[in-house]
Amino acid sequence: MKSRIVAALAALALAGGCAQEKTRYGDARGVETVTNQFGSTDLQMMAESMARSMLQAPVIASSNLPVVTVQEVRNKTSEYIDTRAITDSIRAELQKGGRVRFAVDQAGMNPQVDELKRQQSGLYAKESAAEMGQMVGAQYRLEGNIVSIVKQVEDTKDVYYKLNLQLWNIRNGLLEWSDEKEIRKTTTRG
Amino acid sequence: MKPTLVIAAMAAGALVAGCAAKKGFEKPGFAFGCPIGESKVSSMDDLVRTKVVSEGRRTTIQATEMRCSQTGELLRIDTNLNNDSKSVKRIAYKFRWIDREGMRAWEEEPWKPLMLYENSNFVINTISPTNKAVDFRLVLRSEE
Repeated sequence: MKSRIVAALAALALAGGCAQEKTRYGDARGVETVTNQFGSTDLQMMAESMARSMLQAPVIASSNLPVVTVQEVRNKTSEYIDTRAITDSIRAELQKGGRVRFAVDQAGMNPQVDELKRQQSGLYAKESAAEMGQMVGAQYRLEGNIVSIVKQVEDTKDVYYKLNLQLWNIRNGLLEWSDEKEIRKTTTRG
Repeated sequence: MKPTLVIAAMAAGALVAGCAAKKGFEKPGFAFGCPIGESKVSSMDDLVRTKVVSEGRRTTIQATEMRCSQTGELLRIDTNLNNDSKSVKRIAYKFRWIDREGMRAWEEEPWKPLMLYENSNFVINTISPTNKAVDFRLVLRSEE
């Protein structure tokens, strides 16, 4: 009986030891290869590459702070990707660079209008309340697609992503800039 | 002395000075279009040594050439990387942007993974994210 208790205790201690967790901070900008699904490195690379490319577009480089609105990046891949995170990163990089201004987009329109209405409700001093009809319309709209091709045989899985972005002139409907960023990741087991 | 002779002498002087500037070093403070500041750079190898740094695991990939040009207010950079080994090499790279005061002009870029085939060259190109960035370093690390 005694030896059984000792064995049980040893097994318990071992199991407890194995279950020990360790949490450490990592490099948020490091290369992440935990799985071959869309990851932080893909998002960061796509956003940086697109923002830098857009900076070279003649309408951005030669204009005096053009006003852009961000529309949808359609996710045509087979996995869930928060495409808003990609456009948010592109917008942050361009805004920080001071070359582009962004007008409120569709997603932000309701909160914007709600706030305007609230300020026009009579609760605020007239001189500090934002007036209706003063919003700036965008000159360009940014939209795009992300697609993927996934192939898998036995122990190999290959994923190819392609992000395509386009900058359209709202007034005349011309495509002013477009670029693509491709990423390939292959995972092999064994 | 006649004014025409003076002008001719000055033109000849300017011509000699122009011819004397080594190719890639025509503009003071720049080598192959890349800003060098006070650094002593007299060749492409010097330029690459000044601009390329290694962090983390060292890679055998060598930067062999670097050229820069001004695009509007932004700096465009092309760097040739060479893998002279007989195997595929995987590295990661990023650029570090420096302002006029020698401070960081931009936040730390993400590491970008890159695969180089055996016995191959690959040109990485980028543009500075802001006109505040007047200098840069290319940072390489091995991802093997």
